[in-house]
Amino acid sequence: MSVRRLTRRNLLLGSAALAPLLAGRAHAFGEKNRFIPAVAKHGGRWDARLSGLRRIAWELQRRTSVEVVPDARPFALSSPDLFEYPFLYFGGDGAFPPLNEAEVSNLRRYLTYGGFMLADANDGSDGDGFDASFRREMARVLPQNPLAEVPSGHVVFKSFFLLDAAPGRLLNKPQMMAASLGKRAAVLYSQNDVAGAWSRNESGDYEFDVSPGGEPQRELAVRLGINVCMYALCLDYKDDAVHLQLILNKRR
Amino acid sequence: MNSPTFNAWKLVSLSPLPSWALVFLALGLLLGVALAAWGVRREPSRGRRVLLWALRVGAGVAALFFLLEPGIRHLQVARMKNRVAVLVDRSASMGFPSEPGGPTRAAEVATFLEKASPALAGLQDRFTVEMYGFDPELAPVTPASLAKEPPRAGTTDLLAALRAAAGAGQGARKLSGVLLFSDGADNTELKSGVVGRARAALADLGVPVSTFTVGQEALKDLSIEGLKVDDFAFVRNSLTVEAEIHGRGFRGREIPIVLSQEGKTVATKTVRLETNDDVKPVSFTFTPDQTGRFVYTVTVPTFPDEAVTENNSRSFTLKVIRDRVRVLLVVGRPSWDERYLRGLLKQDANVDLISFYILRTLSDDPGVANERELSLIPFPMEEIFDTKLDTFDVVIFQNFGHADPTLSIAEYERNLERYIHNGGAFVMIGGDSVLGEGRATMPTLMEALPVAAAGPANVEPFTARLTPEGLRHPVTAIGTGASSTEAAWGELPPIPGANLTYARPGATVLLEHPHLTANGKNAPLVAVWDYGRGRALVMATDASWYWAFAAHRDGSPSRAYDRFWGNALRWLVRDPDLTTLKVTADPPSVEPGRPVAVVVQARSSDYQPAQDAQVRVELFSVATQKPVAVQTGATGPDGVVRLEFAPPEPGPYKLLATAKKGETDLGKGEDAVAVRAVGPELSDASVRPELMEQIAKVTGGKAYKLPQDGLPDMPLLDPPVVEVGRAKDQPLWDRWYYLVALIGLLGAEWFARRRFGYV
Repeated sequence: MSVRRLTRRNLLLGSAALAPLLAGRAHAFGEKNRFIPAVAKHGGRWDARLSGLRRIAWELQRRTSVEVVPDARPFALSSPDLFEYPFLYFGGDGAFPPLNEAEVSNLRRYLTYGGFMLADANDGSDGDGFDASFRREMARVLPQNPLAEVPSGHVVFKSFFLLDAAPGRLLNKPQMMAASLGKRAAVLYSQNDVAGAWSRNESGDYEFDVSPGGEPQRELAVRLGINVCMYALCLDYKDDAVHLQLILNKRR
Repeated sequence: MNSPTFNAWKLVSLSPLPSWALVFLALGLLLGVALAAWGVRREPSRGRRVLLWALRVGAGVAALFFLLEPGIRHLQVARMKNRVAVLVDRSASMGFPSEPGGPTRAAEVATFLEKASPALAGLQDRFTVEMYGFDPELAPVTPASLAKEPPRAGTTDLLAALRAAAGAGQGARKLSGVLLFSDGADNTELKSGVVGRARAALADLGVPVSTFTVGQEALKDLSIEGLKVDDFAFVRNSLTVEAEIHGRGFRGREIPIVLSQEGKTVATKTVRLETNDDVKPVSFTFTPDQTGRFVYTVTVPTFPDEAVTENNSRSFTLKVIRDRVRVLLVVGRPSWDERYLRGLLKQDANVDLISFYILRTLSDDPGVANERELSLIPFPMEEIFDTKLDTFDVVIFQNFGHADPTLSIAEYERNLERYIHNGGAFVMIGGDSVLGEGRATMPTLMEALPVAAAGPANVEPFTARLTPEGLRHPVTAIGTGASSTEAAWGELPPIPGANLTYARPGATVLLEHPHLTANGKNAPLVAVWDYGRGRALVMATDASWYWAFAAHRDGSPSRAYDRFWGNALRWLVRDPDLTTLKVTADPPSVEPGRPVAVVVQARSSDYQPAQDAQVRVELFSVATQKPVAVQTGATGPDGVVRLEFAPPEPGPYKLLATAKKGETDLGKGEDAVAVRAVGPELSDASVRPELMEQIAKVTGGKAYKLPQDGLPDMPLLDPPVVEVGRAKDQPLWDRWYYLVALIGLLGAEWFARRRFGYV
């Protein structure tokens, strides 16, 4: 598995490379109405998967009707500007220091009033590294809503693609965790470095190998990413009664 | 022997001995007789045996006679005069002719009672004859007053009248009988016949009721009876109205029945009457498409020779309310605008959300080898825009506009336009695919919208500005008052971009762009109007979600988005609570001859009770399409005023109200009221002789039918007899020959015994 750190130059090049893919699509007024992932800045290594986020936005544009801006916009967790980006990616490679109170309260408000956060352990950690730090902070942000395993029947597994598991670059845990506010999963957390499977470098090559399933697993990770984005955008749409029978038939 | 002052006598015992002593002595005598019989049981001669035994019995009886000291008690007695009640039905059905072309039933009773006056007077030596009309309260009448005053009572309650007549004698003179004159058209307790409690109540009267049925059964009449309908119905849900068509003298006729809503035919049916007295059930199923209160009328034709024409139609009011608001949300593609609107609608318990999102277009490549790997379903365009369209209270298009043949709704645009025109509600939410953006122009649907596209969208962020109309309108009333609403809108964050549109004539712009203009006016952001019987709202941006999410960026919670869309839905479905003038007919169905009352509740634009508001209510006839009367009044501290109209002609009416406080117009409101042509009393002209016969049978009376030549011999309870003066006893036992007889019997027995060898 090779891990290459992105430079600002690489980012710019990567963005430029994606731009032609979006040509010809409708020019929505106000780009903020489009899907743009925001990225949470924290005291650890938060920016390890920016290319992956741009890639999943691009995949979302290519595979679905969603209009995106293939960008990943970093924000401090205490920034009010977060409230213009309802999709937030919170990833990290290794442990990170505790968030300050302003960050905790702003993130709590963000999630409470409708924001969605995809958390991703880029280091594939379990009980240490990013995992330990993230769980520690989540206990502060949503103390009443602990992380729990996402059941296999959750709408996130059928929001666009029909999926059975939640693989990423790794397959440490077959399922994700979720912190739910009411019926809405406000936080989905993968310990499989799901964005790692999406990441491509400026020359278009995937940055990391995927194990143990190789390229088929990468495709599943991309599909999972699209489903997560769709869930953030459509909530439980695919749980509506009109879909249930058809989805059940397809799963047989 | 009898003194002239005594008019009755009876046999009594004058013995001073107490009863127990007499019983004891009597037993002793019986024992003596028995011993005598025992003593001669071996006498071989049957003649001697019988003689001895008979002599002993005779002596015993003679002794008992002396012991009892019998006498005659002379009495002075009198008979109590009980009452006989003559009850005459004064219900309105007694105004029907007793026979075709003949006098009224009431007049026939009056004639009979006049003729029977001497016979009734003949009863006066034994009874007090009291004559009452009942409606159902008892009131004294005479044959003359019966002939003069027409019967008017709205109900016939025979049992109540009988109870009242029986109860009137409690503690005084008792009732010996009742003469009941009626057509038997009871519509209260005895409506179902003499059964159950009614039967027991009649038997408990303990008085023979002789019934006199008046009227012939052969009247030709067509009537609507047994109307069954709920007081309220849910809009866009089917509803069934049931009625019975009662025809007399219409055998073999096809009768058309029409159900209409304020002059507009809703449904028709035809029934065939098989016999000369036939009742046919008929039911209408229809779907109200608008909320509010409406007058419906069931009508059958009026034939020239009918006994009663007023019962050929029956009106009722129906309040049509919404159940859960059934919202169809059609989304052009997933977006944040859709996400927050969906979140809001899904959490609203009053909303039943049905949504369809276009998740993939023809140009999207999901990268799957098999469609089964996707959770997508076909877009059921025909189902939702054709067959099921009318089941939705509100249809929302959220940036939904596709030119692809597979997703274009061009074929269904007219359906949608008609849906709105016919009472539906529609919301168009902007974006880059609609309102001048994208390739799908949807011209037919756009006719129904309050704005039209005016050019390319503007992508500059801006803060929406409340218009003067928006300040007063319930859709934009997100504060508790006008100033609060204005402040609430001012606090909301800028939104990134808007479609450029202009308002059509007749549209009401509630929010506008502060500097972007079209046709010389500020471009509308939110505009509404009534289109036909429906309503439409346009939100010319796909960024109202900023009010839901970005509004929380500074830490203070904001409910503006929830309130705005909640208000919008309520306004779209015409929630009565969103009107500043609430008009309520009280009651919604009025019996004939009763006044029409209306309660008006006025509120100011900030929804506070409007005291001293000048309210004007017009009673508008739906049948003639003309105003009938006007009432005005001022509201009290609670903003409420009650007004009353003199009883109008039967038919459906609208109550159209307007109100002003000073120079401020408080809006208008309306309600419906049905003034019935006939009450239950006149809806059925039939005579029920069988009921009258049952009453007579249960109470021990006799049943008769008018006309009668004279008063028949009716069963009446005899009045009780009471002693009213002194009594005189005349002894019977103190005669010498009784003593001689006793001695003779005893002596003869002694002689015989001696002769036969027993002594």
